[in-house]
Amino acid sequence: MPMKVDIISEWTGEIGEVTIGATKKEGGSRCAAIVIGGGSGFPFLGGSAPGRKPLIAFEFCDDPKLWSPIVTELEGDVVNDAGDWAARVEELHRPDLLRFYLTSTRRRGFQDFSQLRRTVEEVLERSTLPLIVEGSIDPAIDSETFLCCGEAGEGERLLLGTAEEGRYRSVAAAAMAYGHSVIAQSPIDVNLAKQLNILLRETGVPHDRIVIDPYTGALGYGFEYSYSAMERIRFAALKGDEDLAMPMISSAIDSLNIKEVREADPGQRGEMAVKWELYTAVSSVIAGASVVCVRHPETIVPLRSAIDSLWGKTGGGD
Amino acid sequence: MALKALDIYKLLPKKNCKECGEPTCLTFAMKLAAGKADIEKCPYLDEEARRILGASTKPPIQLVKIGVGERSFAVGDEFVQFRHEKTFNHQPGILVAVSDLWPDDRIQDVVREVRDGVLVRIGTDLRLDGIAIRCESGSAEEFSRAVAAVEAKADLPEVLMAADPVVMEAGLSVCGAFRPLIYAATHENYQGMCALARKFGCPLTIRAESLESMAELSALAAKEGAPALLIDPSAATLSDYVKKATAIRQNAVSKTVPDLGYPIFFDTTVTGMQDAALALGVDKYASVLVCDRLSIPSRNALLTLRQNIYTDPQKPIQMNPGIYRVGEPVRDSPVFLSVNFSLTYFTLQGYLEASGVPCYMLVVDTEGYSVLTAVAGGKLNETLVAESIKKTGLESEVDHRTLIIPGYAAPLSGKIEDESGWKVLVGPRDAAGVAEFLEKEWKK
Amino acid sequence: MQDVEKSSFSGKAELLKMLDGIEGEFSYEGTAYHLPVTYAITGRAIHTGDEARSAYEDTGGNPLVAAECITSFEQAKHGKEEDPYTGFIVDSVLRKLGYSLVDGSILGLALLAGTPPRPDTAAAICRELQEKYILTFLAGDVISSLMESGVKVGAEYRLVPLGKKPLRGIHFIDIIARVAMMFGGVAPGDTDRLLRYAQERARAFVIVFSGLDEPEIEVYDTFSLLGIPILSVDGYDGREWVQVEAGDAVGKGLDLKGIKVTVTAIPIPMACSPAFEGKSIRKEEMFVEFGGGRSPAFELLRSRPAEEVTDGKVTVIGPEIEDIREGSAVPLAIIVDVYGKTMKKDYEPVLERRIHNFVNYGEGTWHVAQRDLVWVRISKEAVAHGVRIEHLGELIAAKFRIDFPDLLDAIQVTLITDEKKVLEAKGEAGLIYEERDERIRGMKDTDVDTFYSCTLCQTFAPNHVCIITPERPALCGAITWLDGKIAYEISPSGANQPVLKGDMIDEVRGEFEGVNRFVKKASHGEVDRCSLYSILEYPMTCCGCFECIAVMVPEVNGFLIVNREFTGETPSGMTFSTLAGTIGGGAQTPGFAGISKGYILSDRFLQAEGGIERLVWMPSLLKEELHDRLVQKLKEGGIESLFDKIADEEKAVALEDLIEYLARVDHPALGMPPLI
Repeated sequence: MPMKVDIISEWTGEIGEVTIGATKKEGGSRCAAIVIGGGSGFPFLGGSAPGRKPLIAFEFCDDPKLWSPIVTELEGDVVNDAGDWAARVEELHRPDLLRFYLTSTRRRGFQDFSQLRRTVEEVLERSTLPLIVEGSIDPAIDSETFLCCGEAGEGERLLLGTAEEGRYRSVAAAAMAYGHSVIAQSPIDVNLAKQLNILLRETGVPHDRIVIDPYTGALGYGFEYSYSAMERIRFAALKGDEDLAMPMISSAIDSLNIKEVREADPGQRGEMAVKWELYTAVSSVIAGASVVCVRHPETIVPLRSAIDSLWGKTGGGD
Repeated sequence: MALKALDIYKLLPKKNCKECGEPTCLTFAMKLAAGKADIEKCPYLDEEARRILGASTKPPIQLVKIGVGERSFAVGDEFVQFRHEKTFNHQPGILVAVSDLWPDDRIQDVVREVRDGVLVRIGTDLRLDGIAIRCESGSAEEFSRAVAAVEAKADLPEVLMAADPVVMEAGLSVCGAFRPLIYAATHENYQGMCALARKFGCPLTIRAESLESMAELSALAAKEGAPALLIDPSAATLSDYVKKATAIRQNAVSKTVPDLGYPIFFDTTVTGMQDAALALGVDKYASVLVCDRLSIPSRNALLTLRQNIYTDPQKPIQMNPGIYRVGEPVRDSPVFLSVNFSLTYFTLQGYLEASGVPCYMLVVDTEGYSVLTAVAGGKLNETLVAESIKKTGLESEVDHRTLIIPGYAAPLSGKIEDESGWKVLVGPRDAAGVAEFLEKEWKK
Repeated sequence: MQDVEKSSFSGKAELLKMLDGIEGEFSYEGTAYHLPVTYAITGRAIHTGDEARSAYEDTGGNPLVAAECITSFEQAKHGKEEDPYTGFIVDSVLRKLGYSLVDGSILGLALLAGTPPRPDTAAAICRELQEKYILTFLAGDVISSLMESGVKVGAEYRLVPLGKKPLRGIHFIDIIARVAMMFGGVAPGDTDRLLRYAQERARAFVIVFSGLDEPEIEVYDTFSLLGIPILSVDGYDGREWVQVEAGDAVGKGLDLKGIKVTVTAIPIPMACSPAFEGKSIRKEEMFVEFGGGRSPAFELLRSRPAEEVTDGKVTVIGPEIEDIREGSAVPLAIIVDVYGKTMKKDYEPVLERRIHNFVNYGEGTWHVAQRDLVWVRISKEAVAHGVRIEHLGELIAAKFRIDFPDLLDAIQVTLITDEKKVLEAKGEAGLIYEERDERIRGMKDTDVDTFYSCTLCQTFAPNHVCIITPERPALCGAITWLDGKIAYEISPSGANQPVLKGDMIDEVRGEFEGVNRFVKKASHGEVDRCSLYSILEYPMTCCGCFECIAVMVPEVNGFLIVNREFTGETPSGMTFSTLAGTIGGGAQTPGFAGISKGYILSDRFLQAEGGIERLVWMPSLLKEELHDRLVQKLKEGGIESLFDKIADEEKAVALEDLIEYLARVDHPALGMPPLI
């Protein structure tokens, strides 16, 4: 007697959607307004469609001294000008999104906010992909930094990072005042993620403008905690917890700095970086991340093939 | 629904005879509930209890051992769908494929690589597990030659991959005593393959397209007396694999379809995207992964991912206590106290490296607890620190006597000074602040 | 004195006359919100006199609408007022202002209007507003008065001069209306939401001097509809206008709108940080010590009515540091009086315990124990840097303000070093301690309708939910019901949430409908039922940080308890760590429970199974630790002899020993009904 094997699905919740980027028609200058998130299941669990296809963001910065030499050496002089770099990334590496780190703000005593504003404007001028901007990490300059980012990107529907517990007001303010969205990062813990989302909501940031970053440890350096945190956040959201029902972004930012990669045989270092990012990113999308970030340009092609193979070329699955 | 320890205890004879090896029936019940004991160990169980307990305490996924000796491994015995629910128990074996079309030396290059290649992480040796010998010649002689070539170089676990039972038997006649995995029985050849599995006492992989026919085939194979099974959902693409593997795992752990309660076999070479397939295999339920020869970077990333995913989420990975060096420290370099919770260690190490100041890390044994937890729970205390300074010979490494302790350990600073005789500087609470701390506090 | 009610009545007529006079087309530039107040209230864009008059009529004669239309018309007709007056503030500037409000770099908004009695009155108010991070708008003669007395005005000084006439104060309201629409999601025309937003979220108040004409009084009086208090420094009386002295105006405004200014730097000549918490001050390093058996000393925190607490006031009664000989022991009373709208008497002991941490945060101060057992030292080094006894008070007051901004509105510290007065006060304190103990000891689960949860451990025990009740502390022993309650007050979105008991399902097992509902949700649907007083049926889940484990020993009808510190094997055949490994991780394991030491002494302990008489074994160290309290408890129950009948590892190692021992001492559990 032939039997039927079912997939058991008992979810009730849905993941919210967040839009990044605004086209000319919408008051911005991006080539597209990308929607991330959505869906009502785990990727490939639950029998229904796997949800929206995850996107690849390429990370770059405005002060290459604070970036991995593996990348800066490969990219060449272009890294000294954020606008040039942005243009090159878009033309050559072709990610889905750009994630721009204002690493210049991390220099001690940074105060040059007018330059900062020009830098963001330049990156916007030289690129067309929806943009994620990472501001300062120092509370002392948060207020001015995020005001710059918010203003310079007005109308562009940026995704701004990064809000943390105890350091979220300026990012939230920039998002609310200038129509952007916020990355909310908590240290690998489902309850802390929820708490931060509640704080943001109370400040006035609506749910459809929050992207959860559960913090992604590099492979071998706590990645397993992040992997499970992502699964648990998604799980809680599907069970109906609206304070966790936002799309997630994952970036194992330390991947290129860890010993295994940094101290790899020089002939293999580039490949080591790519594999480290690839294994992490593939695992993150299967754990529920909607955006995965990479820093090595050569990670993009194999990662895209994997995502295409999982979600289909056109994505969406449905 | 798994039975709780108390429910199991009620069914036990309550004699406390110790014949099962446990001191009391209650202890035995606890172990049964956790899937860590075998019901057969109890000699006084009545039939009814045996029936109930047998079904309920048997792991939903069969435990299968592959290979013999030092490098042999076991897979299966899994209970949960998500690792955070409890833990994943048995990491997948990764076997590198060779072909019987290859000359011996080419085969043996691969064998040597798998035999000797090692990645040392957190005090553990990580290795690939074995060799998959693929029959592409169609010839029993060539196949047995290839198996012999592998056998000549190493005692590694093997998968014999051949569709024809006659060819398979030729391979098994070389290595059948070493419990290789037979691949694969299908609806067409299962009787022959099962007979071989029975004859050589080897685990057998069955392969079918749909989950329904897979469940059917596993029942047939079990009836034919195959001692242990793996199942290959024969996925050709990544999404096909993930979908099927997820469904198998779900139906197995929920015991909805017990005939799917076997470890999963995944041949990643057919996907054309080996790295992604291997990563997904590790994340999503594969127990045996077959792949083509891996570059060192692929291998390292794969072994590290596997180590990560198969870490018990309720038990932090621990570092070995001792002195660790960051950069090339000298006799007046700073010394940082840290705990042996790996995440704490790696985080601090990363920031120390980023600071560019060579220094020492004194890692003490807090049983894997983070600083905050270790301080709260009394695991991190002045006696431990003082003893660790002595035991590690730290005093002969540096000329100064100043120890930088984590910010959260501040309540202990005075006691550590008294107990160790070292001067204590309280560092930042967050490791991200160490560079600034070194600049402001250490240099002055 | 101008009577607000009367003036506003005649002002209404005049306002209407002015409204009748407007004609032609007019609008503001640089805004997408038309005439923002009118737009927010009516949802309509006004450009002509007729539209203005009809909007006024349709809003039932709202003076704000009138004032806005008149202002807009006048600006269109006469052009923008000359510098420094800003007139209407454009959207792009406003966006930045909204940013600063959300961001926290501006804490609130104030409007100063009218003619100050003396220039320095306004100057002092402005200085205070600047210090308190309030963005201040100015309208009327107050502007010229400030400028004459040398005060710099302009946005960069957080003093924004809106216009020459107090009527231009209407811009203050158009700003609030636009903030509501830009940031608060208030739709134009949705008056209810506008009012609610303004009342709840707009941290704004108005200070008026004399000189408002009648239409202006009518307009300003309407501000109170938006929850904006009007503080009258002089000249007005009636309606809801609050009379204040000039010097109290800012404080009153902040208070009425609940604006709290947080301080981070504590102005004392001593560093203050958790980093110094563990620094001890040895005898040879100490300048002076208090208490510790060497002199009488105590500390007490009391909740007082608002009028009895002057925020930030520190008083030293008795000798100061300069009157004290180095190396001596001096009496000390630390009395902290606090006031807070939501402060409750129950919180006193919990807050009082923080004094210990705070004093230890000082680089040169050290503190151990609590209540009348305290022992405090100040180091020579600190004294050399100028630290005095009063600085202890400054430190305590400042830290309370920083750590409990929402709970405490005022903190006042009194330090007594005069022996006679310390002894006197100590006697009173003793009574308060006793009363508190009595209250907490006596607090029963049946006295409250709310328990508290703790989900801190879900990081590693995903489905674990601790339910904390007055009679059952968290299983880690670290959080009592009161701690949970306060943690929730301080951080409403934190890990401790209120759990309404709801209907009783089973009294003996302690199962409540509300608790079940909460646990089901907080355990992500994994745990359906939770009985608080039973270990056999639906016991609470276990995380991993429980102090002790209670284990059923069915052979003797009892339970044994093993604490974390005990490393040996228990008669059950398992060690603490084996047991912990099996029951931890957030699972329900009938027959086993992670518990706190305190719970052993609770009447609810093993309530469903028959109470403490089921207790058959515990490690000798634990027995010793609990000795006094346990004996006391047993005595109260008339079963004092039980204490010696409870076995320990010296009396019974294996199960067989235990069975034999219990039989020998005739332990009551043996005679109780079997557990299974």
